[in-house]
Amino acid sequence: MAKYNAMTQEWLEAWKVKIATSAEYREIAKNWEGSVSIIVNPDPAAGIPEPIFLFTDYWHGDVKDFLVCDKAKAESAKFVMSGDYARWKQVARKEVDSTKALMQGKLKLRGDLTYVVRNIKTVNKVIDLLCEIETIWPDEA
Amino acid sequence: MANGYAGRFLRVNLTDGSCDPFTVDDALLRKFIGGSSLGAKLFLDGFPLEADPLAPQSPLMVMTGPLVASGFPGSSRFAVCAKSPLTGIWGESACGGTFGPELKRAGYDGIVITGRATEPLVLSIVEGEAKLTAAAGLWGKDVYETTDLLKEADKNIKVLAIGPAGENLVRFAAIANDKGHFVGRTGLGAVMGAKRLKAICVRGRQKMEKADDTRFRELIKTAFGEIKESALANSLNAMGSDANMDIGMINGDVPVKNWTVGEDFDLSSALSGPTLSETYLTRVHACTHCPVACKRVVRVPDGPFKTEEGPGPEYETCGTFGTMIMNRDLAGVIKANEICNRLGMDTISCGAAIAWAMELFEKGTLTLSRTGGLDLAWGNMDAVLTLLPRIAHREGLGDLLAQGTLAAARMLGGDAEDSVVHVKGLDLPMHDPRGFHGMGLAYMMSNRGACHLQHSVLATEQGMASWPQLFPMKDDYRGTTSEGKAELVFHSENYGILGNSLSICHYLADILKPETIRDAFNAVTGFDLDFAGLMTCGARDWTLKRGINNLLGVTSRDDVLPKRIMTALKEGAGAGSVPDVERLKSEYYALRGLDGRGFPRQEKLRELGLDELRQRLYPD
Repeated sequence: MAKYNAMTQEWLEAWKVKIATSAEYREIAKNWEGSVSIIVNPDPAAGIPEPIFLFTDYWHGDVKDFLVCDKAKAESAKFVMSGDYARWKQVARKEVDSTKALMQGKLKLRGDLTYVVRNIKTVNKVIDLLCEIETIWPDEA
Repeated sequence: MANGYAGRFLRVNLTDGSCDPFTVDDALLRKFIGGSSLGAKLFLDGFPLEADPLAPQSPLMVMTGPLVASGFPGSSRFAVCAKSPLTGIWGESACGGTFGPELKRAGYDGIVITGRATEPLVLSIVEGEAKLTAAAGLWGKDVYETTDLLKEADKNIKVLAIGPAGENLVRFAAIANDKGHFVGRTGLGAVMGAKRLKAICVRGRQKMEKADDTRFRELIKTAFGEIKESALANSLNAMGSDANMDIGMINGDVPVKNWTVGEDFDLSSALSGPTLSETYLTRVHACTHCPVACKRVVRVPDGPFKTEEGPGPEYETCGTFGTMIMNRDLAGVIKANEICNRLGMDTISCGAAIAWAMELFEKGTLTLSRTGGLDLAWGNMDAVLTLLPRIAHREGLGDLLAQGTLAAARMLGGDAEDSVVHVKGLDLPMHDPRGFHGMGLAYMMSNRGACHLQHSVLATEQGMASWPQLFPMKDDYRGTTSEGKAELVFHSENYGILGNSLSICHYLADILKPETIRDAFNAVTGFDLDFAGLMTCGARDWTLKRGINNLLGVTSRDDVLPKRIMTALKEGAGAGSVPDVERLKSEYYALRGLDGRGFPRQEKLRELGLDELRQRLYPD
């Protein structure tokens, strides 16, 4: 299986393909509409000198733009999730559940929390599909 | 008296009508802090443990803690304690709302009530003055009517009242504070009813001294900042406690059809916090000094389940009157909640009893002749709403269910007890140990029977809180394993118990950093306890109540999970999984210093400064 450098456009594309080809996701996410951005806080020791901004967009079971972007684009998303690199890495490796990370304050969410809870199965499925990608992390490269 | 306390307690004897203040040594406060911890100590030292819970000599204690009335977020709580008429062992139930802070402002840290009045009475405590008056015209009225009538005479009083269920000694009768906040569990409303005390009213303006007021004010600002940043706080504000319904169904937390089905997403979607917000929510409501405002105010505008605007159901009630009985109509849950509130009944034990009855009806054990013609088919809310007043007034099948599920099953005989889901006689709250093994151990070992609020296991095991500064915690705990859970439960109990002794809300204990709570406690009291000292207070509380229960007959044989929970589910996140009870129990006993009988060892009692208890447990 191909490996992808984390938080790059190629990595996002691989994730997008995973989601787009999942029949289970399409069924679960039929009510979801709106974009989600991910902000990774800088961590120079881990090889991340500047924040990283990622933009992903979902529409009723389909996927739209998945982009490495700038701050303005990221902050335009319907939901903005931010956190330290180490936390995102734990989430993407399924070492920490994303909902738990959110509740414990290890990740921050800006957006309608009620909508997220209502669609928590969709959120979990997207993360599950991310965990299936073989990833090379910057501090392990 | 130490800082943070009103400085005195009130002893009320309803038999002779006396109301006498008394004080408690500072040394005792340092050891037991307040709330149900101090209540347990007063119970052990001053009362006949063997007495029937409904006998005049058995006390009913209303207790607060040092943070109550301080203005600290979540510090509105108070605990009511007594020997439980439902379980026959230590009973306690904590409550938010308005009563706790107002009791302290009225001049008392707590009330200890004994005796039995010859006629129904109301206890009023206004600006330090206590008096008993005839509850003329109130006996027989429901909680809402009683509260309204009492407030007509004085709109500023805060009311604690029972409804018909308490008057009629229903074993899971509740006590209500200002209609919307309930002392729900362990049947303490029946103790109040047995004493013929219809209500307690309080009002006052006393201010409590703080050891370091400047530091305390800084900590309130810190706490507000932490609340603003907290996803849990935001979730509770947006969706109330029922935010758990959607997530819980995915995680294997939510019981379905009297604990026999592992998942039903149509049910959870129909009954969830977001659905409540989108349909019947009219506004949110907060306890005194709480910026989280997790309470729901709801109204069903029309239809068969039409209600007035009033207190809405918590997650637990959406479980017992929703998923547990296969009712998919949220309006039906709201109506059942309103009726239980008015009658003064614990919605957990009441709903659990009805779920049990529905299962027996399906099996044919309960027939139409036994149900008084009620068709107790799963989800039949018309029958449920008809049955509720019959329970409170003890009519027909209602009289059987009013005994509590376990007692009712034993009266029926046969295999009826196999469907009762309880620990030590207390029906399980709506969190399934098959999805979360730590909760199973917490239910087994909780001192009031199966309980989700005598500890913080729900928060730590499900990942709502993480406290590596208190004890060695993993970043994430898998629910369906028993590995490492004894240690998690042990520490989560010791910390979570502080919610009940400090009298602060468990949600706020989960939301705020432990440092903030510790420092606020020290700024108020000046006790200068570190984390280790606070955790020792928690361990002391647990061991004290365990010892009381041992004196009441509890042994290791009672530390078990019910047959239903030890039967694996076929579907859902908890499918195929049951807690490893023997492993959990063995590891936990070692941590708690319990012997093979389930008694605290003498050295543990000495270590925790519980020598009086040691002498009672080991008289030779």
